[in-house]
Amino acid sequence: MSEYEGIVKMLRFFVQMKNFGYVDRIGNALNPEPVEVTLHEALRAFRSVRESAPVDESGRRYVEKDGKKIPVPGIPTEEEIRTFLDDVRSDIGVAKRVATLALAYPSKKESGGDE
Amino acid sequence: MFLSVGVRFEANVEALNMVETAGNYSKHRRVPYLVEEDGKLKTVYVPALSGESLAHAYQEHLVREALGLGLSVCDDCRRNEFYKSMNKVHLKKKVNPIPDDPRDIEIAIVRSCVVEDVGGFLYAEKPPVRRSSAFQVSYALPVKSVALFATSEPQLHARHAQMDTSSKKGNASEQMIYYVETGTALYGFTFNLDLDAIGVSAITSEPILDENELKIRREAAMRALFRMLSSAQFGAKLSRFFPVGGITEVAVAVTEHPFVVTSPIYDDYIARTERRLKVLEGLGENYLFTVATGEKVPEEALKEAVDYLREQGAF
Repeated sequence: MSEYEGIVKMLRFFVQMKNFGYVDRIGNALNPEPVEVTLHEALRAFRSVRESAPVDESGRRYVEKDGKKIPVPGIPTEEEIRTFLDDVRSDIGVAKRVATLALAYPSKKESGGDE
Repeated sequence: MFLSVGVRFEANVEALNMVETAGNYSKHRRVPYLVEEDGKLKTVYVPALSGESLAHAYQEHLVREALGLGLSVCDDCRRNEFYKSMNKVHLKKKVNPIPDDPRDIEIAIVRSCVVEDVGGFLYAEKPPVRRSSAFQVSYALPVKSVALFATSEPQLHARHAQMDTSSKKGNASEQMIYYVETGTALYGFTFNLDLDAIGVSAITSEPILDENELKIRREAAMRALFRMLSSAQFGAKLSRFFPVGGITEVAVAVTEHPFVVTSPIYDDYIARTERRLKVLEGLGENYLFTVATGEKVPEEALKEAVDYLREQGAF
C-alpha cells in the first residue's frame, strides 16, 4: 500500500481534523464512482486548506485544531492518484484498504509537508 | 387526518444547503443519485437539500404561527434553537422538579411547547422519553428525468478590506477571494403531516390536551407549512443567494389514515398518486387530492386542503 502513501496521509489529515466524511465515503464505496468523486472533493478541499495554512519555523505547514498543531502533508502526486483510480476501477477493495490505513495510527511519526 | 404534499421547485444558483468550509471554499450538499442512461443505471452526484434543513425551516415557521395564535412555545424554541428538552438543563425550564414517570414528562413538554409536540423530542436522561415527530420531510433531490442537467458550480466572490501600511499585518491581503458552490436544479421533496398525532401521547395514545387546543395546534401546523412554501423561506444563504425560480408544482393529498403521495422526483407522480388514491377509495376511505400544476397556483391548492380539513372538523 506504500504506493498510495500520499493519499493515505491526506485522508489521515482529514481524520485528525475530525472530518471523517471523505475517509468514510471512500471506505464504504461499493463502486468506483463515489471514490473518484470523493477524491476530487478531498483534493479540492485539501488544496484550499493547505494553501492558506501558516508555515512554522522549520518550514512545515500546519493548522491548529483544539489547541493542537496538526501538520499538513504534501499533495499526492498526479501519478499516485492515477494509479490509485486505475486500481480502484479493477478492485474496489483497494479503496477500503486505503481508507482503513488512514484511520490507523501511522507506524512512525509523520513529518509536516514537503517544504 | 393525514396530509401529504409533493413539491417541485426550480432553484437556479442557490446555496440553500452548505455543508462545510475548507479554506476559502464552501461546499454545497451533494448526494449520490441513481439515474438511467441508455438503458444502464449509473451513479451521479447531484446537489441536494437535507430534510433536516427543511424541517428546521418548518419549525421556525411553526414558532411564528403558534405565537400568532396565542399558543405556548418554550423559550429555546422561541429563539429557533430546537434543543427539544434533550437533557435536564433544558427540561427544567419547563418542569421543575422533573417527574419520575415518562408519561408525566411527556405531558409537561407537550403542554408547554407546540414545536416539541409537533416536531417530537428526545429526552436523553433517566428515564429516557422519546416522541416521534408528527411531520416528516424528505431530502429535496433533483427530478429524475432532468437530474443529469443539475449542476453544482463554485462562484467566485471577493471581500475587500481597506488597509494602509500601518494597519497591515504580515501577508494580510486587501482582497480575499472565496468560492461559494451553488446548485441549480429542478428539485422535488415530500412533506407529511400526521394531524392525529398532534397533542396525543406517544406513550399512551391518549389526548394530552382538550379538543379546542388540539384544533388550534393543528391549524398552526398547517399554517406553518403554508407559510414555508408560500414565502420560500427555507434553507441557508437566502440573503445573497435567494434561489431564482420558484415552486412549479404542488400535489396535496388529505386522507383519513397515513398515505404518502408518490415522490415528485418521478414525472408521473400525480397520475400514480391518483391511481393509488382510487384504490383506497374502493376500500371506503375518503380523501381530497388537489394539484397546482399550470393554471392553479400552489397557495390555491394548499388553501383547498385547509378548507377540506376544516370541513372535516380537524380544526
